[in-house]
Amino acid sequence: MDRRKFLKSQIGGAAALSLGATGLLKPSALFGAEFPDIAAVKGGPGPATRAAVQALGGMGRFVKTGQKVVIKPNMSFPRGPDSGTTTHPEVVKELAVMCREQGAARIQVLDNPLAPSEQCLENSGIREICQALDRNMVRMIEKGRQFDKVNIPKGKAMRETEIMQDVLGADVLIAAPVAKSHSSGGVSLSLKGMMGLIYNRGVMHWRYDLSTAIVDLNTVLTPALVVIDATRVLSSGGPGGPGTVIKANTIIASTDRVAADAFTVSSFEWYGRHYQPGQVPHILEASQRGLGRMDVENLSVEHLTV
Amino acid sequence: MSLRRVVQLFTLALFLLCLLLAAGSIAPRGLNFFLRLDPALAALTLVSGRYVTWSLLPAVVIVALTLIAGRLFCGYICPMGTTIDGTDKLLGARKGPGPADRLGRVKHLVLAFLLGAGLVGVSYVFAAAPLSLITRLYGLVAQPVLALTADRGLALVPISSGVEIDTPRFASQLFVVVFFVLVFGLARFAPRFWCRVLCPAGALMALLSRKPLIRRRVSEDCTACGLCARSCPMGAIDQEAPERTRHGECIVCQTCRDVCPVEAIDFGAGVSGDRPDEIFLPARRQFLAVGLAGAGLAAVNLTGLPTLTGQPGPGRVKPDLLRPPAALPEADFLRRCARCGECMTACPTNTLQPAGLAAGLAALFSPTVTPRLGFCDPACHRCADVCPTEAIRRVPMGERVWARIGIAVIEPGRCLAWEMDKSCLVCDEVCPFDAIELVQEESHTVAVPRVSEDKCAGCGYCEHACPIESRAAIRVSPMGALRPARGSHAAQARAQGLSLIPAAKRRRTPAATQSGQAAPGFTPAESDKPAPGFTR
Repeated sequence: MDRRKFLKSQIGGAAALSLGATGLLKPSALFGAEFPDIAAVKGGPGPATRAAVQALGGMGRFVKTGQKVVIKPNMSFPRGPDSGTTTHPEVVKELAVMCREQGAARIQVLDNPLAPSEQCLENSGIREICQALDRNMVRMIEKGRQFDKVNIPKGKAMRETEIMQDVLGADVLIAAPVAKSHSSGGVSLSLKGMMGLIYNRGVMHWRYDLSTAIVDLNTVLTPALVVIDATRVLSSGGPGGPGTVIKANTIIASTDRVAADAFTVSSFEWYGRHYQPGQVPHILEASQRGLGRMDVENLSVEHLTV
Repeated sequence: MSLRRVVQLFTLALFLLCLLLAAGSIAPRGLNFFLRLDPALAALTLVSGRYVTWSLLPAVVIVALTLIAGRLFCGYICPMGTTIDGTDKLLGARKGPGPADRLGRVKHLVLAFLLGAGLVGVSYVFAAAPLSLITRLYGLVAQPVLALTADRGLALVPISSGVEIDTPRFASQLFVVVFFVLVFGLARFAPRFWCRVLCPAGALMALLSRKPLIRRRVSEDCTACGLCARSCPMGAIDQEAPERTRHGECIVCQTCRDVCPVEAIDFGAGVSGDRPDEIFLPARRQFLAVGLAGAGLAAVNLTGLPTLTGQPGPGRVKPDLLRPPAALPEADFLRRCARCGECMTACPTNTLQPAGLAAGLAALFSPTVTPRLGFCDPACHRCADVCPTEAIRRVPMGERVWARIGIAVIEPGRCLAWEMDKSCLVCDEVCPFDAIELVQEESHTVAVPRVSEDKCAGCGYCEHACPIESRAAIRVSPMGALRPARGSHAAQARAQGLSLIPAAKRRRTPAATQSGQAAPGFTPAESDKPAPGFTR
């Protein structure tokens, strides 16, 4: 699949989702009604990840033989899993194993950190655990030549950006963020996490309104599957910590990233209080602009424990 | 190729390899070995720095070697000498008698000048010590050009797409380039003009090798044809009486032996019956006068406005120099720092930059932390590892974290959150010390950053990552830098009530938000909003 095709499919997916969000169609109806909108599984990071994806129909629904997959965890802080700032290594590994079971041709785990990349790769534990599968699976992409300029036709504020070539060349994108608070975005989940795949993030802060720019970015980067690692929730002090870490032992999965993020916001306390998804400006705007649904009370949620 | 050329090329290659390894952040220790060989750098730094150290022992070995076998260092080891041999060949250095023959004493005056300044406590080692000069040339000028060339070359190879080599960038390169163009251009007057006429290390070794144990000897077979005198690159052989050698000028290259048609020359244990050799020594009065001039310039320097007294407070006018972590107190630092640029070459984030003239002549080429270009990683102390004079203290990594280099100060008028009401948290996000807190103020719809001074180590992550272009909205100021000459950084910091603990190891958790107040980044709920005119 070339870049043009990738973008077309991404835009198509976004359009389908926006159609769903208008209420004309239920997202569940798009993919067949047998799957829940959201799967929330309690258990250990690895088994809960597998069970959550199974509940949505299994990895085979998203990854076909011979496809190239990019998994986007959060691994941009030089801290260990206990800090709640990065995705649990076992979540990432389990996703990679499931992709491999489906016969994926290439699986990459990518991020663009702010801290020294070697320290992030080392301390997050993600590189080490994935090395058993493929030595080069986990990489940090930081250099300008590894990104390509992409137009954002549906961007309200940000009309272009530079995205990792490896992401543009991939068939399937899987978002695997950790659930954490974010001192300027409120929370950093799957929508906010897409900022880790582009070159120039600073511009999203200074030139545009951050929430609008996050939504703009998400009109071109559309993960087929969102798996939010809420095994540990960094409830305050995010994104870098230290902060209150809630041991929630939960994996939240959905094909609708807005729903996944919204459900995560409403499921846990942030700074010791409960918040509505609409109190996070970028989730509100994403739902208003039709990227997905944040009315979690109307969505079907399958709760499981493994 | 002669044995000498082989040795020269080998030592130059070794020198360059050490520099490249330092630049590539590969093996941190011992890479400054060549710098510690330079007798002038060592002697003058000990004088200006007023200290004694084992780490300069290699220079003592060179001194001993010189007493035994003459200026072998110049002829075989010195990377500056080898480089000049190369450029002399390239530019076709003038052969035979020339002005350099009469100027040999000038190098002793250079030495006197530096010594005079050193006695006053100002180090001008950077201006003339050969290893300081050549390390700067290869580290700060040649190495980045090499990296750039390699990177551009890679870009042409289609399969390597995406692979990039970081090209370090350095300030004040022009000084270095112009200086070396002049030094290399001196080939017009004589080969090795620098070594014969200007080098203070050469002067020092010339003094020590007036009668080395192993020296040039001329047998009775000599026909006084003068070929050796004309071929000597150092002008060390008397044109009128070729059997006479100025041993202090001889670098034992043995060219004379190789060209002698009757094989009358060899190098071996000297005979005490040698005729006394004339040497280039300036008159004592001249030596004193130039020494005084050096002391005078040093004194003028110390009264210059840019000179940092090391005392914080109102006397400090400018400049705002951020020094590498665990640098000695400013005055001691400048007395010791040889400005070789090794720390800047080795710095993995390129944050260390040579200071320009704005910092005053006494601080020229001294290293400064430049956060806009790169942060100073609290887990890194390569600068101290490679410093040949311990101007940057080598401390255990547990101490290194506490070596505060300044404090970050927010300029609200430039800040996205404070001034433009845009959500931004980059400073908070990148801070490795958790020293920045985003707080929801009544006056702002977005959370705004505040610095907790007691937790800030001045590492500059925030200034580096601040999305405001050109001058960042948060900048590190050297105030509060911890630079004890001895003793523990951690103890001093704790005594001041500081808490410089990396966020990863910190156990503090932010307080839960009060009711009626939204957490940072969240929008307050309708029920939380006070009615118009009411306060919360």
